[in-house]
Amino acid sequence: MRLVKILVSVAVSILILLIPTESFGITGLTIVEKRVIALFVLAALFWVLEPIPIYATSVLIIVIELIMLSNKGFILFRNDVGNPGFGTLLNYKSIFSTFASPIIMLFTGGFFLAMAATKYRLDLNLARIIIKPFGDKPKFVMLGLMLITAILSMFMSNTATTAMMLAILTPVLALYDQNDKGRVALALSVPVAANIGGIGTPIGTPPNAIALKYLTGSEALSFGEWMSFGVPFVVILLAFAWGLLSFLYPATTPKVTLNIKGKFIKNQKAYIVYATFAITILLWLTDFLHGMNSYIVAMIPVAVFSITGIINKEDLKKISWDVLWLVSGGIALGLAMEKSGLAKNLISSIPFENFSPLLIIGGAALLTLVMANFMSHTASANLLMPILAALGTSVASLAGYGGLSSLIIVAALAASMGMSLPISTPPNALAHGTGAVNTSEMAKVGVIIGAVGLLLSFLTIYVLNLVNFIK
Amino acid sequence: MDKLTIIYVDDQREVLSTISKDLQVFEKYVALEECESAHEALALLDDIEGEGDHVAVIISDHIMPGKNGVEFLAEVDTDVRFPQTKKMLLTGQATHQDTIRAINTAGIENYIEKPWDAENLVDSVKILLTKYIFSVGIDYQSYSPILHQPTLLNYLSKQV
Repeated sequence: MRLVKILVSVAVSILILLIPTESFGITGLTIVEKRVIALFVLAALFWVLEPIPIYATSVLIIVIELIMLSNKGFILFRNDVGNPGFGTLLNYKSIFSTFASPIIMLFTGGFFLAMAATKYRLDLNLARIIIKPFGDKPKFVMLGLMLITAILSMFMSNTATTAMMLAILTPVLALYDQNDKGRVALALSVPVAANIGGIGTPIGTPPNAIALKYLTGSEALSFGEWMSFGVPFVVILLAFAWGLLSFLYPATTPKVTLNIKGKFIKNQKAYIVYATFAITILLWLTDFLHGMNSYIVAMIPVAVFSITGIINKEDLKKISWDVLWLVSGGIALGLAMEKSGLAKNLISSIPFENFSPLLIIGGAALLTLVMANFMSHTASANLLMPILAALGTSVASLAGYGGLSSLIIVAALAASMGMSLPISTPPNALAHGTGAVNTSEMAKVGVIIGAVGLLLSFLTIYVLNLVNFIK
Repeated sequence: MDKLTIIYVDDQREVLSTISKDLQVFEKYVALEECESAHEALALLDDIEGEGDHVAVIISDHIMPGKNGVEFLAEVDTDVRFPQTKKMLLTGQATHQDTIRAINTAGIENYIEKPWDAENLVDSVKILLTKYIFSVGIDYQSYSPILHQPTLLNYLSKQV
C-alpha cells in the first residue's frame, strides 16, 4: 500500500515533467516553473497520502529543489540556463536558509520556553492554581480545564499540552460512570481547547507562524498584534465550545475532582525560568517600545537557558526537529513558487478578477478547513499559503476586503479548526485513544465548531477591516 | 513499518500456548515468538537482530533446564545489541535471592507471579512495549491500539 502510494505520486510528477510546457495553458510557462509544478504536486500527494512521515516530505522538497532547481544543482538540470523559456534557477543559499528562517527561530525560542516550563513544572503548577477556583461541578471543572489547556497551548505544542491534561484527566475518566455523557464532554474538551488555544499566539501552532511569513512589509504583524485578535477569537470560540459540549453531553455525576500534585519549585534555576518566561512574553508584547521584533526576542530565552544550563545538551536532543523541518519545507516550497514566478503566472492564468472577492476569501477558508480535517494542519498551511499569498497580492478586487492580510489570516485560523476526526490532529487522536469518546461524537462537535469558527473568522477580518487594522 | 517482536520463554508447552492466547491482541501489530529454552531464545535473538528487526519485549520463566531465566536475562542485559529491550520475569518458583539478582543484574522491568491474570499480563506488556517504542524512537502512531495510554501520555507530555 505504502509502495503504491509512493509509486503513483512519483509517476504523476514525472508525467508532469514530461509534458511540454506549451500544453499547460499557462502563457510563458518556463521549464523551471514546470519543475516547480511537479514538485508541488509531489509534495501535495505525499502530504495527503502520507506514505512517508510529513517532515520527510519537507526534507525531500528541499533536497529536490537543491538538485533540480538551484544554481548549483545537478549539471544536466541546468544545461539550458540562459535559453529562452528556461526560466531562472534559485540561489542554493536561499534554499538552505529556509532551515533557519526567522519563523523557524521564533519556534525554536518557543520550544526552549516550553521545555524549560515543563522541566521546572511551571505548566503543571499553573494548571493547578488556575483550575482551583472552578470548584467541583463537572460543568465548571470542564471550563477550567479548557481554559488552562487553551492558555498552555498558546505557548506549548498542542500535542504536549493535550497529553499532559489527558494524563491528569485519565484517573477521573476511569472513575466516571461509563454511561454518563459528561465523560465524553470532558475527554473532548481537552483536544478542542488545545486546537482552539493554539490560535492565540504566533507560536501557538505552526500555521500561525507560516501565516506571519507571508505577511511582510506594510502587512507585517507583530506578536502583540497577532494576539490582539487571536486571543479574543480564542476566548469567544472557547466559550462557544464549552456551551456546546455542556449542552450535547451534560454530566449527571454531581462532583469531579482533578488531582494535580506538586508545588512551585523554589530554587535559583526555577526563578530564572519564571522570570525569563515573563520577560520574554513582555518583550514580545512591547516591540513598539524597544524595537526588537518577535524573532529577535525569541533568541533571548535560547541564550538564557543555554548559559544557565536550564536546557542542557540532553534536553537539546528533545527539540522537535520534525516540526521545524516540516515548516522549513513549506517555506522552501513557497520560495520556489514565488522566485520561479510560478505563483504569479498561475494566478494570472485563472480569471480570479471575475470572482467576487468574498467568494475567494470564503472559498480559501473552506478549502483550508476541509484539508486540515484530513491532513496535518501545518502541511495544509504549507500547501495553501504560497498560493493564497500570490492571490492576495495580485487580485486587485480583494483590496477592499483586507487583501492579502484577510486571506492569510482566515486561512491560518481555518487550519487550526480542522478537528472533526481522530486523524485530524494528534490531540484528537490522543483523546480518541482514551476510549471515552467515539468518532461520531468527535465528528459532531468538530464539524459544528469548525463551521462556527469559520463564521467567527469572517467576523474577525470584518472587524479588523472596520478599525483599519488590516488594509 | 519497523518489525517488533515479543519473545516468551518457558520449558512447558502448555504455558507457552496460554501466553500466546493471552497476547492475541498484539498479534496484528507485532511478531510473537515462543521458545522452549534460554538456549533456543538466544539463537532466536541472534536471528532477529541479524534481520535488523527489533526485540521489544522478552518474557521469561525462571526455572528451566539448562540456563535459568535470570541468567538468560542477565546475558541479554549486558549484550550491546539489545540496550533497550524490555525484560519481564514470569515465574512461580523464584526464590528471594533469585528475585534480587533479577532486579540487580538482569535489569528486569516487570515481575509477574504464576499463576497470572491475563489482563495484568497484557497491561504489563503494553507498558513495556510503549516504553520500548519511545526509547527507540519508532513512530508510535501505527501502534496506537496496543500502547498503554497513561504511559503514552506521559511520554508525549514531555516532548516539545
